[in-house]
Amino acid sequence: MAQATNETIFPPPLVEGGQTFASITDTVCRIVEERPTLGWFAAFGVANVGLLMLLVSIAWLIWEGTGIWGLNNPAGWGWAIVNFVFWVGIGHAGTLISAILFLFRQKWRTAINRFAEAMTIFAVICALVFPGIHVGRIWAAYWMFPLPNQMGMWPNFRSPLLWDVFAVSTYFTVSLLFWYVGLVPDLATLRDRAKNKIAFYAYGILSLGWRGANRHWQNYERAYLLLAALATPLVLSVHTIVSFDFAVSLVPGWHTTIFPPYFVAGAIFSGFAMVLTLAIPSRKIFGLEDFITVRHIENMNKIILVTGTMVGYAYAMEFFIAWYSASEFEGFAFVNRALGPFGWAYFIMVSCNVITPQFFWFKKIRTSIAATFILSIFVNIGMWFERFVITMSLHRDYIPSSWDYYQPTAWDISTLIGSFGLFFTCFLLFLKFLPAVAMAEIKGVLPQADPHWEGYHKEHAKEAHHG
Amino acid sequence: MAGLHHKSFTDEPRLAPAVVKKAFVTALAVGGVGLVASAAALAMGDEVRRRFFFSYLAAFALVLTISLGALFFTIIHHLTRATWSAGLRRIAENFAGLMPVVAVLFVPVVLGIHELYHWSHEAAPLHDPIIGHKASYLNTGFFIGRAVFFFVLWSAIALFFRRNSVKQDETGDTSLTFKMRKLAPVSTLAFALSVSFAGFDWMMSLDPHWFSTMFGVWTFAGSMVVCMASLGLAALWLTKNGALTHTITTGNLHDIGKLMFGFIVFWAYISFCQYFLIWYANIPEETAFYLHRLEHGWGSMFKLIVVGHFALPFWFLMSRHVKRKRIGLGLGAGWMVLMHYVDLYYVIMPSNPDLHGMTFHWLDLTTLLGVGGIYVAFFVRQFGRDAAVAHRDPQLVASMEYDNA
Repeated sequence: MAQATNETIFPPPLVEGGQTFASITDTVCRIVEERPTLGWFAAFGVANVGLLMLLVSIAWLIWEGTGIWGLNNPAGWGWAIVNFVFWVGIGHAGTLISAILFLFRQKWRTAINRFAEAMTIFAVICALVFPGIHVGRIWAAYWMFPLPNQMGMWPNFRSPLLWDVFAVSTYFTVSLLFWYVGLVPDLATLRDRAKNKIAFYAYGILSLGWRGANRHWQNYERAYLLLAALATPLVLSVHTIVSFDFAVSLVPGWHTTIFPPYFVAGAIFSGFAMVLTLAIPSRKIFGLEDFITVRHIENMNKIILVTGTMVGYAYAMEFFIAWYSASEFEGFAFVNRALGPFGWAYFIMVSCNVITPQFFWFKKIRTSIAATFILSIFVNIGMWFERFVITMSLHRDYIPSSWDYYQPTAWDISTLIGSFGLFFTCFLLFLKFLPAVAMAEIKGVLPQADPHWEGYHKEHAKEAHHG
Repeated sequence: MAGLHHKSFTDEPRLAPAVVKKAFVTALAVGGVGLVASAAALAMGDEVRRRFFFSYLAAFALVLTISLGALFFTIIHHLTRATWSAGLRRIAENFAGLMPVVAVLFVPVVLGIHELYHWSHEAAPLHDPIIGHKASYLNTGFFIGRAVFFFVLWSAIALFFRRNSVKQDETGDTSLTFKMRKLAPVSTLAFALSVSFAGFDWMMSLDPHWFSTMFGVWTFAGSMVVCMASLGLAALWLTKNGALTHTITTGNLHDIGKLMFGFIVFWAYISFCQYFLIWYANIPEETAFYLHRLEHGWGSMFKLIVVGHFALPFWFLMSRHVKRKRIGLGLGAGWMVLMHYVDLYYVIMPSNPDLHGMTFHWLDLTTLLGVGGIYVAFFVRQFGRDAAVAHRDPQLVASMEYDNA
């Protein structure tokens, strides 16, 4: 029957370029086994400079106190919380891809889940830096934990800031476990191919004696499913609790009931943009185009369109209800957000988060790799600004005489840039030492993995012929 | 999926006419008796009259949310190019296709606008500055205009998908699938906005001072729970009557159960967050809503919802065996339809200014039977006209083979 478009009823194959089991192993392992390229060293050097910047900024912060940041009296929360929420949000896409898409049996996830999960772990590490350092008095950082101080006083259990510590650390632990469990079969492959002793023992210990036995696979798949089922509510709870940090307060513009799902949608939105920002250069540099195909990129762009539109929906609801509530303070907070001194930030937020993804309505743009890369960076910027705009609800509080403007200092900026240094240092090390694509999983989605695959007859015939 | 199908569609695509006729007549009789009995209330004084409209609104909200959820299910099937749901699509299309019937069932709500919606009184915006502030949105003309717009929009979307789907039964034209996929994204967008505002208009504005940005999402979440439950019940009804016994597989029932479970959790998440944020911030204009619903006996219904709409089905439906057994899924789905009605009742009924606490009325039952009976009758009637399954859907065989056990 004539087809209206060039689409097909069933989706195209997940792996392109006639890859076989052996060629997948070769392509992925080569990245780890070969000497790093000059480009890798250059990138690693730049990332290290960033990391150093972060360390210096933190050292100066601990020495001098939070006064080195641009915080002032109404705006008592500045870039530290913005960066924290930004990085936690980035992490969410990794878990969405690895756990939620797994539960929904979305097999296209196999090409991207490994490094999306790696991204999650490094993003959460970056995020965890900020609550740790923003206390200012670093020797009191243990107050974040449910430990009584020398006066026998416990932290306030009703504070979402305390729940954040539980939620993020649980999330980090489960994400790490999930990632590691998924890595085990691939680590064993690297062990089996290792050419030097150090690699052999290192991968050998990490692969926990994996032999690819039937029993191993059965346990592995059961564990993977259970971890996916555990990670799913966890990932939703993390950004829900992050949203509680704001929404439980009495600050107009913060206290609104839609915050939890709105934050989760925004987190997934920003995380997918980051996955694309990382995947597009990586697939090119390491020759992974057969695995991370245009179809994968298009699917991710669709998720960006959906979640970006959800975020737009939340913006609209907030505005509508701010008016509908007839609350003078609610109404002012939103008018001030759009037209006040930080109107420029609001403009960046709306144009990057709501308008940018609308380009993905067009298939041409969705399937264009260059356009996707550029738009993904816009989304990253927009989502940072979203958190900035929300945090800056503080700058005009209930007492007009205390209104002020938030001006970041050089240390604010160096800490933010430095956190990217930390992230990319970790990410580049990951690319060098661990398989960036889940080899075992991607083999499972090849047509050859189906025991009834037609091609077997041909291959058997060939073998018989060679005899 | 590579064209190697081991199954083929062998069922009779239509439901036996005798089954349709019997169900139609029974449902119509129940609905007719219910409506006539309810209508008697209109002549029984102001208080009973007002009670009628509140009870009616709760029953109407139940059938509305079933159709809305089913509309979303149909759209999302095409949007995600799903395979597994191909065999169940027609059931959802039939629920969603009732949108014109639901629109007619809305007429009494418009007639009872003064009994239901305090803001619609001419004097209200003048004496109450908060209502005065939102009078440009909450006024009778705009309210009715929006309702007409919503029903036209939903009916247009629902009938577009249903008609093209039925057309494919005759022609087997694959391009119809592409046509439906093409309209799915924009339908999703229109659906999300219209459902939210319908929730604001018809339920949230019962208490015109109260507001919650989450309310639109809450309306959607409940709709999806009751949609999956109704889908499950309808699938069990069809197969029990010997129709589509090879098409609607155990795997399909299991997947309905899984999605119902997922949306129960989603509903709980949304409802909890809404309650929790209002409880925590403790601002009088927001807490008034829940405070009123925790006093005068309503608190026991609050507890029933926490346990019955979440805790109980959460543990019951978690098991794979329960979802794959007809009796297990049927019990779970039937219970969820009831609990969804309780949840709607809990939001709607306490706004009745005549009530001084949780009191039930025979009108609750008669309106539920009346509206529900008419709705079920028209739902069943569609199986008499068209096939019970989209039997020439190119994905149908794949959906029969698909089982995520």
